[in-house]
Amino acid sequence: MEISFSRLDEDIARFTLKDATPAFANTFRRTMIGEVPTLAIEDVMIYDNNSALFDEILSHRLGLIPIKTDLSEYVRRSECSCGGEGCSSCQAIFTLSVEGPCMVHSGDLIPADPKATTVSTDIPVVKLGKDQKVVLEARAELNDGSEHAKWQSTLACGYKAYPVITIDDNCDACGNCVEECPRNVLKIGKKSVEIADGKLEDCSMCRLCEKACMASGIGDKPAISVKPDTERFIFVVESDGSLPVKDIMTSAFGIIKNKADSLVDVLNEISGAI
Amino acid sequence: MIPVRCFTCGKVISTEYEEYKKRVEAGEDIREIMSDLGLERYCCRRMLLSHKEIIDDLNPYQ
Repeated sequence: MEISFSRLDEDIARFTLKDATPAFANTFRRTMIGEVPTLAIEDVMIYDNNSALFDEILSHRLGLIPIKTDLSEYVRRSECSCGGEGCSSCQAIFTLSVEGPCMVHSGDLIPADPKATTVSTDIPVVKLGKDQKVVLEARAELNDGSEHAKWQSTLACGYKAYPVITIDDNCDACGNCVEECPRNVLKIGKKSVEIADGKLEDCSMCRLCEKACMASGIGDKPAISVKPDTERFIFVVESDGSLPVKDIMTSAFGIIKNKADSLVDVLNEISGAI
Repeated sequence: MIPVRCFTCGKVISTEYEEYKKRVEAGEDIREIMSDLGLERYCCRRMLLSHKEIIDDLNPYQ
């Protein structure tokens, strides 16, 4: 299996996964979305809130704020040595105390752990009028996207099979398929139609080119054919900022490996029992 | 209040709302503003496009 990046930033990655099965590509996608843990605000103790938003709307908005996560420092509350009571290694505490008139931003949340800060400081939480006040304490904990979308580390995370476009010798370069292609993947070459430089990965495999080719009256079979490569996949992974994309990918691979190992253990146990 | 994240994909869009509002009022092309602010997908774009701010109307009634 091989991964080659065409783009790798802190927040977005685009790569092709080679020599993999469709099942593995989907496992990888699902693990990145649902199993990679991040921090998000879960409990909110509201001491004072006379703003226009109800307490529960306010805490829901706080929950959706992405928080920078150091996976080596935090563990899930259920797996923590404190036994789920809540300590500094399973929860990050924030305090917020603002008096109106003003806009309360995510930057007004003061973290107890200077590393676990909000990704952005200017997410609007609530607008306060004169004499309105919000005082609260929020506790963020580690969990994953399968529990609630606020813990989901990725935004747009998906893949498609790599397109394989073959053009037969009997192509007469009429250009009908070039006009029909919605993503401008094709261009007219000297003798036949060609794939435009660097455009192959844009192909959505809509097969309008095949239809256009047939409509041009070339015969029973189209001269151009588009097929998906079932061993190569183009991935796009976008992060919400709580973890860099690279960390999301490496921890997803770790999770898949652990799950596969535990499956082997279970199978051994079953076969040993018989 | 503008929703914190896009309902569909989860991208944080509320941070862009202030600038969006200012630039719309200045008469700029909405399509260009959104592309400038990094809102590529139409799910994120509709979040700003279809938002109606009512917090100022609600604030007198606590």
